[in-house]
Amino acid sequence: MRRTRILLGAAVVLLLVVSAACSSDDSSEEGTGDTSGATVPAGPTGTTINVPEDHATIQEAVDAAAPGDLILIAPGTYEEAVDVETENLTIRGLDRNEVILDGGFELENGIRVLADGVAVENMTAQNYTTNGFYWTGVTGYRGSYLTAYRNGDYGIYAFDSVTGQFDNSYASGSPDAGFYIGQCYPCDAVIIDVISEYNGLGYSGTNSGGDMYILNSRFNNNRAGIVPNTGSYELCYPERESTIIGNVVYDNNQPDTPAIGSALDAMGNGIILPGGVDNVIERNLVFDHDLGGIVLVPFPEEGASDLPPDESTWDTPCEETKDDPVTTEEIPDLIFWQPIGNSVTGNVVSGSKLGDLAVGTVDADVSTLGNCFADNTFETTAPVDLEALAPCDGDPTATDWENGAFDLIALIATEKPPSVDYQEAPTPEPPAQENMPDAATAPARPATDVPMSVDLDSIQVPERPEGL
Amino acid sequence: MPSADLHRTSGRRRQLAALAAGAAIAPLLLAGCGGDDDSAGGATSLVEGVESPVQAIDNSFRPEEVTVAAGTEVVWTNDGRNEHNVLPADEAESWGVQVTDFEPGDEYRHRFTEPGTYAYYCSLHGTKDKGMVGTIVVTDGAEG
Repeated sequence: MRRTRILLGAAVVLLLVVSAACSSDDSSEEGTGDTSGATVPAGPTGTTINVPEDHATIQEAVDAAAPGDLILIAPGTYEEAVDVETENLTIRGLDRNEVILDGGFELENGIRVLADGVAVENMTAQNYTTNGFYWTGVTGYRGSYLTAYRNGDYGIYAFDSVTGQFDNSYASGSPDAGFYIGQCYPCDAVIIDVISEYNGLGYSGTNSGGDMYILNSRFNNNRAGIVPNTGSYELCYPERESTIIGNVVYDNNQPDTPAIGSALDAMGNGIILPGGVDNVIERNLVFDHDLGGIVLVPFPEEGASDLPPDESTWDTPCEETKDDPVTTEEIPDLIFWQPIGNSVTGNVVSGSKLGDLAVGTVDADVSTLGNCFADNTFETTAPVDLEALAPCDGDPTATDWENGAFDLIALIATEKPPSVDYQEAPTPEPPAQENMPDAATAPARPATDVPMSVDLDSIQVPERPEGL
Repeated sequence: MPSADLHRTSGRRRQLAALAAGAAIAPLLLAGCGGDDDSAGGATSLVEGVESPVQAIDNSFRPEEVTVAAGTEVVWTNDGRNEHNVLPADEAESWGVQVTDFEPGDEYRHRFTEPGTYAYYCSLHGTKDKGMVGTIVVTDGAEG
């Protein structure tokens, strides 16, 4: 059967090459049912499968595909939830703004990937009850030029997955995070050139980290902006070693988004790390937040399923700790995951009502947690003179941690506007988004070459967006 | 980042630990009491009053595989912040719990009386054999 398909594929390619040589048709033309993408060579081993020409639905095309194949989807609305269990596929829309997967507020996930090396490109997923695009338990993933709009949990989501990349994508209208990478260490992942707005959280990553980069992206008008976080409700705790550089983060005070409880708790903060460990926050532009700009706080976990692991185990890969038995010791009803060893340098932060830079904790001496602040441009800190209290190099030149201490009570107790149902929230329609280059002609590119390499040193603090 | 606000039973963790201890000890006690002898007639002997805990967190079952004696009641608790369900991989089986009855903080119980291997999954976060999956291995009570 496979041999037959290869022969058919070869015949199709030959026919199309001949056809192309005899015709001046422009294969980039659009329209429902456009099958011009069939001219595309899928790569050295794969074939190209067109939807709806070869298969009426994306799921049928995926089920018929073999590793290395390219699935090209013509403009249209596809009311289906796709599960992908074949490795190394490239699933691509011919037009990001016109290839629409629509869950109709009934289907769970737009595309759910359970196989290694699958790339999804250039399409929109909207109105799903859980996630727009979702990878789980895989090695190798990539989401490029994706739009996730008004989905019931996450927008673009990788869980228990390593070696991946989200780029040039947009997410709005999710009660949890627009972008999420969680339960991985080392994650070996890059989020770059994305926009996340009008979500509960712009970015969330529970218990993720290790070669985990969030770069050159925009997080605005969410309840809270960038929120790496720790908790025992997922495996591989704590969150550690995420690198956040070159992002624009502003106005994350949006009162009318859908929001899970933690988004309400974190609302009004730009970059906030509840229980984050050894993260690097550098050269970001952060402004106009009702509470904090860049904030390090503990995560108070009620009813935890395990105790925090000993610090000596934090460099153990997630794969080696997932099957560890939970403690047999009694777990307190409330535990605090402390923010430890984070470095906040070279950021430009302004307009934060409780402090542009802030660190606070309970149940621990905040001065001993090893967080440091240096070379930032700011107006206020909590406590006062934070860069002198906790420098990244040399000894502290101030010692009064009580002067202007960060008001955790205000952070937690400030009344937040309630969540708005994701189906009803006034999430703006996404503006037309940039298409991937040469969608109709680019060869298959499964997620076997990710994540991309980035020169971190070359990243500058972003310019303030025009009009803001 | 799921919510920190909870509606769960205080001290439930300790209850689960006690259940786990009970699960380990009870079959031994029952075996020691000379219950049904499987080798004599081939009938499965069932333990009584034994429970075995499984956590459903986001998005894993912990432990993923549990071995229990026939008659054991397995107790799943949703210790995550997300919705989950528990569905048998074999659709012919009639146990399991849907999302609406298994919100965070909820528990679901099922007593396994027949030896065998019972695969299950959460359909929101996995398929029958990938993602959020688990297995209950049920042994004859006398061997448990």
